[in-house]
Amino acid sequence: MISVTGKGSEHFETELQSKAQELVSVLNEGDLSSAMDIIHELHEFRHKTFFSEVGYLTRGLHEAIKAFSNELGAGLQMGDETAAEEADAADRLNYVIEVTEKNAHETMDRVDKALALVDKLDSQSERFKDLLLLVGQLEKEHDSLNGVYDRTCAVKEESEKTIGVLRTELTDIVVSQSYQDITGQLIRRVINLVTNVETHLISLMEMAAKVEKLSGIEVQPGSQEVAKTNKKNPIQAEGPQVNKDSADVVSNQDEVDDLLSSLGF
Amino acid sequence: MNKDMKILVVDDFSTMRRIIKNLLRDLGMTNVQEADDGQTALPILKQGGIDFLVTDWNMPGMTGIDLLKEVRADPNLAHMPVLMVTAEAKKEQIIAAAQAGVNGYVVKPFTAAVLKEKIDKIFERLG
Repeated sequence: MISVTGKGSEHFETELQSKAQELVSVLNEGDLSSAMDIIHELHEFRHKTFFSEVGYLTRGLHEAIKAFSNELGAGLQMGDETAAEEADAADRLNYVIEVTEKNAHETMDRVDKALALVDKLDSQSERFKDLLLLVGQLEKEHDSLNGVYDRTCAVKEESEKTIGVLRTELTDIVVSQSYQDITGQLIRRVINLVTNVETHLISLMEMAAKVEKLSGIEVQPGSQEVAKTNKKNPIQAEGPQVNKDSADVVSNQDEVDDLLSSLGF
Repeated sequence: MNKDMKILVVDDFSTMRRIIKNLLRDLGMTNVQEADDGQTALPILKQGGIDFLVTDWNMPGMTGIDLLKEVRADPNLAHMPVLMVTAEAKKEQIIAAAQAGVNGYVVKPFTAAVLKEKIDKIFERLG
């Protein structure tokens, strides 16, 4: 944690009290010119305190941003090269999307290969059928083969069922790779957020630096502008919903179907 | 359902395009083209020859809902069946998609069975 609070305000209070007493005593003595000097000193002192507080805040923000990006950099070990560079939060998050995308594709490559093997098993099963017919014919001629045809047929059916289940499981592995899209969309939103925060913080720091340079207390009206948040478009794309309990969000496909059928679909 | 029909799959995530392509292949539909957002999809659609559009919603450039509106506004494309496959799950969004003329709406993450069911339903209705 970084403390952004300067000690200027405490110091200011004690100083104010002692100057106030001084002011009362010179006024009691009728020394108006000294009284005006003290008022002027107080005025100056207030300005200085204000600016040093702004300075503390600015430095604190700066440290917080640096610590934030360093933490992200340390958490993800991406090799010495990149770790040594100034950590960029958005880049790191993009890296997560890239890695998960690459891995999802590698998984699907293997599933594709596995599915090709399942196809091969299917065609082998066809050839097996021909051989079985031959066994069926021989069974009639040789008593010792009695029942072999039926039993082999049962095994063949069982194995065909297994192949079917295997195909479904493999397809489900492909479908489950959609986590990459779902998480990727959320990460993209966080990237946008981080980028916005960074941009605003940087302009805030620039503004603070300007304030420090100015001798007067007035901040230029232009720099006080607050970014107006546009009124949100209710159907604007938001990506995956994290809070599925919310009343305005559907939590599964059944609810989508219900809603659409209520609309005459 | 004509298995030879030409399908355009639009999603900014290559992972999702590949998943949908694989599932369509399981349904016997192998004539699939891809685009990564509405902006790249629209010229492909306007060129003609696409029979069925499967699109995501949340994409950079042009979103799926805007693509759907463009499709419905173009007399040559207006009758094209459109299935939205998206993580957007707000009721308001689903209603907006329905009003814009979507033929089916699947929320991510979905199962192979749900996608198949919705595609079958779209073509059942169209006859």
